[in-house]
Amino acid sequence: MTDATRVAAAASSRDPSIGLAAVASLRGLLESLEELQVTNARAQGWSWQQIADVLRVSRQAVHKKYRRFGF
Amino acid sequence: MFERFTDKARRVVVLAQDAARGRQAGTIRTEHLLAALFEVPDNLALAVLEGFGVTKADVLADIDRLPGAGPAPSDADALAALGIDLDEVRRQVEDAFGAGALDRTRAAAGRARRRGGHIPFEREAKKVLELALREAVRMTHNYIGAEHILLGMLHSETGAGQWILLARGVRQDAARVVVEELVRTRRAG
Repeated sequence: MTDATRVAAAASSRDPSIGLAAVASLRGLLESLEELQVTNARAQGWSWQQIADVLRVSRQAVHKKYRRFGF
Repeated sequence: MFERFTDKARRVVVLAQDAARGRQAGTIRTEHLLAALFEVPDNLALAVLEGFGVTKADVLADIDRLPGAGPAPSDADALAALGIDLDEVRRQVEDAFGAGALDRTRAAAGRARRRGGHIPFEREAKKVLELALREAVRMTHNYIGAEHILLGMLHSETGAGQWILLARGVRQDAARVVVEELVRTRRAG
């Protein structure tokens, strides 16, 4: 099976072990990307409010999550 | 309770964690305790199972057939199921933020730590250990051995360990008789 057909087969699978694992991996990727982008934004002088606005979350939420990073 | 566990019973508990981790399970479940019984040589639970004709290969195959068993796919494979090419995402991120940027995040480090770290016992698995104590008390044994863990697994509502054993014909009352027999002959001999 080619990679493309394998992927297509997996995407249409109703097997929870495939679907749930995909969600878990996506969440992990999301967390890492968010952390990178927030870190970068802070390094470029963005305020917590500016970051929160673009992320479409509350300022408190983003501050609470990332203040321990010390920036 | 744990101070009354024999060395072999302790090994079973420790190796159940390895059995869970090896199967990428987030909690230690009763089937992991069952698998661990086979990793501790010469314990009485194995003598009981042998008496019922239950082999390690049978039990491991049963465990692999449980819903949700089998190795979890890698992140790359799991994301491919959604049409996301993790390698491509990684390439783009590294172009902007430098080599290894994605894997250097605290979020990624936390996930790696959780995968290698302590795995908690599920409620049913804890229950099996409590029932092992009860089985020992019932037989007036002043220690908890691997054989009591096996008997603890043969109670209702202890999860997959019990289903597998029942399906293989291991019944609680019969198993108790075998354990008492084995302990008696072991003491005599």
